[in-house]
Amino acid sequence: MKNLTIGFEQILHSTLSMARNSLKTDLCVFLQFDDGERLCVRAADGKKAHLWKGKAFPLESGPVAECLENKVVRVSKKSKTGLLALLESKSAAKSTFILVPVSGQSRTLGILVCGPFSAATAKSIPEDQLRNTGALCAVLTAHWRLYEWLSSFTPQVNHELRTPLTAVQGSLGMVLGGMYGQVGGEMREMLEMAQKGCERTVLAIEEYLTKQLPNKKSEFSEQQSDKINAKDLRVPPPPKKP
Amino acid sequence: MRVLVAEDDPDIQVILRMVLTRMGKCEVTFTDQGDQVVPMAKSGSPMLILLDMMLPQMSGMEICQALKNDPATQSIPVIFLTARTQPTEMQEGLRLGAVGYLAKPFDPMTLIAQINDIVSPLGVTLGTSA
Repeated sequence: MKNLTIGFEQILHSTLSMARNSLKTDLCVFLQFDDGERLCVRAADGKKAHLWKGKAFPLESGPVAECLENKVVRVSKKSKTGLLALLESKSAAKSTFILVPVSGQSRTLGILVCGPFSAATAKSIPEDQLRNTGALCAVLTAHWRLYEWLSSFTPQVNHELRTPLTAVQGSLGMVLGGMYGQVGGEMREMLEMAQKGCERTVLAIEEYLTKQLPNKKSEFSEQQSDKINAKDLRVPPPPKKP
Repeated sequence: MRVLVAEDDPDIQVILRMVLTRMGKCEVTFTDQGDQVVPMAKSGSPMLILLDMMLPQMSGMEICQALKNDPATQSIPVIFLTARTQPTEMQEGLRLGAVGYLAKPFDPMTLIAQINDIVSPLGVTLGTSA
């Protein structure tokens, strides 16, 4: 399962990297809603490390709200409000960012932000291409949510089943072991049947809940977001033109 | 031989009391509160501590760390006896200084032997009257 975690991270990052290369732009960021309904950097590819100072992005009216209404939005940074202020670019020629909603089956999971583009380029990018990248992020996010759920649910069930079984198996073991006197005949047969049932249940727990437990909890936390903000967005500057 | 058991399930307490007193020939003290383990270990000077992982107030990991950081208790062998059976948790428990890790459910008739397998090299043996 640890490999699965690493694999998931790599796939998400590679998806953004491919999207950025395909769109020929500097930055591709996936902002995902966390459990507190805050919009945080989940994964990113690009060189705008200095842009990501906050842990969460405001959900004010404007382009973010518009994007969350399920439209691909092309916005000029000149308005410089909310999210756009954070997307400030030094390049005056490329001043437009594209925001793509990332939607699951029943809720919006986050926003994909790409840019900056020149206004003409931003208009020319097909919406399908953007939506497909958003859909891939959605699939990966759903997969991740399932992993998170499993990583907390299965250890808890494992524990909740093992604890009462300890009392059942322990008391049967002591009675059959002769701690309270000899047990024989049909009574012994019945108790041994119960003990075998316990042993089978323990084996089932071992097989389905212990061996397959995820090894670690989700890494999508504030700490992880900080890590992404501070480190993962930092890539080497482009080579200088001769 | 005094053994301190930190276990919050009353049924498992009954089983452990029977096994440890009758088969292990031990004097057993129980607590069901995590934050009581270190003070009880200091005042009672047990030869062995059996520690559940999930306890109120303090987790087994936190307790183990506190025991190993305290010069008065750091030499007392700690064995986790728990239903938390993830390999990472086992490794973490041992890394914190526990000498062994026994999973629930356990077989009461072999529990003393399992404990002795772990603590005999440390000079502690249950089941003797000494």
